[in-house]
Amino acid sequence: MKKIDKKTADAYFRTRTTLIVIYLLIGFCVSYGVVLFAEPLSSITFLNMPLHYYMGAQGAVLTFIFLLFVNAIVSDFVDRKFGLLDLDKEDEDESGKAVNK
Amino acid sequence: METQFLVSLTLILATFALYIGIAVFNTAKKTSDFYVADRGVPPVFNGMAIGADWMSAASFIGMAGTVMLLGYDGLAYIMGWTGGYLLLTFLLAPQLRKYGRYTVPEFIGDRYKNDTARLIAAAATIIISFTYSVGQLAGSGVVIGRLLEVNTAVGTLVGVVLIAFYSALGGMKGITWTQVAQYVVLIAAYVIPVVFMALQLTNNPLPWISYGEVVSEFTTLDQELGITEYLVPFTEGSKWQFIALMFTLMAGTAGLPHVITRFFTVATMKAARWSGAWALVFIGLLYLSAPAYAAFSRFILMTQVAGSQIDNLPAWTQSWVDTGQLSVADTSGDGTLQWSELVISGDIVVMATPEIANLGIFVIGLMAAGAMAAALSTAGGLMITISAALSHDIYYRSINPKATDRKRLAVGRWSIVIATVVAGLIALNPPGAITQIVAWAFALASGTFFPALVLGVWWRRANGPGVVAGLLVGLTVTLTYIFLAKFGGITLLGIIDTGAGIFGAAAGFLTNIIVSLSTKPPSQQTVEEVTDLRYPEQLIYENGEVWVREKAE
Repeated sequence: MKKIDKKTADAYFRTRTTLIVIYLLIGFCVSYGVVLFAEPLSSITFLNMPLHYYMGAQGAVLTFIFLLFVNAIVSDFVDRKFGLLDLDKEDEDESGKAVNK
Repeated sequence: METQFLVSLTLILATFALYIGIAVFNTAKKTSDFYVADRGVPPVFNGMAIGADWMSAASFIGMAGTVMLLGYDGLAYIMGWTGGYLLLTFLLAPQLRKYGRYTVPEFIGDRYKNDTARLIAAAATIIISFTYSVGQLAGSGVVIGRLLEVNTAVGTLVGVVLIAFYSALGGMKGITWTQVAQYVVLIAAYVIPVVFMALQLTNNPLPWISYGEVVSEFTTLDQELGITEYLVPFTEGSKWQFIALMFTLMAGTAGLPHVITRFFTVATMKAARWSGAWALVFIGLLYLSAPAYAAFSRFILMTQVAGSQIDNLPAWTQSWVDTGQLSVADTSGDGTLQWSELVISGDIVVMATPEIANLGIFVIGLMAAGAMAAALSTAGGLMITISAALSHDIYYRSINPKATDRKRLAVGRWSIVIATVVAGLIALNPPGAITQIVAWAFALASGTFFPALVLGVWWRRANGPGVVAGLLVGLTVTLTYIFLAKFGGITLLGIIDTGAGIFGAAAGFLTNIIVSLSTKPPSQQTVEEVTDLRYPEQLIYENGEVWVREKAE
């Protein structure tokens, strides 16, 4: 085992936490935010539907899926930037089959 | 109906044979296999298994109907049940995976270093999963009963035997691959009919894009009839009920033990993130289709059924009138069926679609197989969770810590058989509507596990007394509010029993924080363990220093 600077590790934690807060805020806005302002938003039309209905039926779900993939991709990037994924181990990780007991 | 019966039966039996074949092929040998599938399930497939686990009979049969009957207000279910995966994947799954335990009660007991907390959590797991599985078995009884044209009770018993058999035999590993197969069957069964319906009504094979055309006509149709408008928000309940229900479903999703257990079956924190993302894609496919079902069915009912001569209704209406799910009495006696004379149960929207769109017996049979896959896969996952709580958290950790692997497996298998049979017996005469039972299970999960897990992962200062008090207060507040709103008629801001989770979660968080702060801080070891969860699994935190795990390990 080799030691790394705790400051580096904490920078990693801060980066990840900041990103998560941003994702959750976006997720909150497209669901709770739209519900709170449902009445004014209903005058806007999107894909033949009033915007508040569109967001509830499709927009929010699609945003959630998008956020989860952005998180998965960006997190891999952050891991790599902090040198936490070395290349040959990563190949195993992509398939998820690396057994880490 | 003879041919239809044979086709439905053949399709259901063929898919069952597939599931059981997979379960037998993957028979569990080690204890860890039985509970968590040896942590070797790739994220895409784990995502499908989460999807199958997640989408129950209620989602498959009931949700489109709920949206059709409630209009905009029904969308709280769509956003709530998908948004839960944000909370789960962002706030809990990777950390729980790094902590490396088999079950949720085990995590709570070890993180908070408190045996009482583990036992309360085990009891809560059993109560929540059991309540949920009663709903599933009741649902599978309805499906088997209706499609095989046997009594509902007989249908329920058939379901009980199947679930007990393959859950006990395969354990989690068998279940995981079985559930991948079940996901494929159920999503094909759900999407194919709505695609054909979109083709017939809008000449566009993509219902997700085209149902807006139909929705846009509702405003005029509703105003002509002078009924509650489909697109106008908060006609069925207050805005706060919408928000409370959405919160309860989201937090409940993030706290449901049988869903969280899935994230113990992945290899790494990275795989946990990807599993969550894939899971929501597969779940989203069904949830994005449900409002399309709702819109198309409502449109057909309004334009082709309502307003037609009472003795000249489409042929498919008769078979549903016979089941008592559709009522078309011409009360005004003018020979024409008015919209107000049409009473429809939400549960038939999805099941009736193949007949409405005239898709033929094969698609109807596929629908039956899909609905069964939805009911059985969820029930199977629930049974494994109950069995793990009983045999692992209660028997092995508290009663007989010296139990051998073989003995624990035996206890696990027997608890599945017993739990399934008991749940089946209750499901023969269910204590309430299926959706109602399911909503209570979510409220309980958001009042108990959601605060305990979030604070356990993110707040180092949370301690044993805090979590014990938090779990008990959260549980009490949730149960009390359900009871008061349901039977006492006392509500706050128009929030009814299904939104009770928001109060339970608030009480759970507050109690855990206040009690933790007014008692002794947790041990140095606990603080270190929770700090360790901040970093990915390649890093280990020890004595204020961070180490990189060597590859050889």
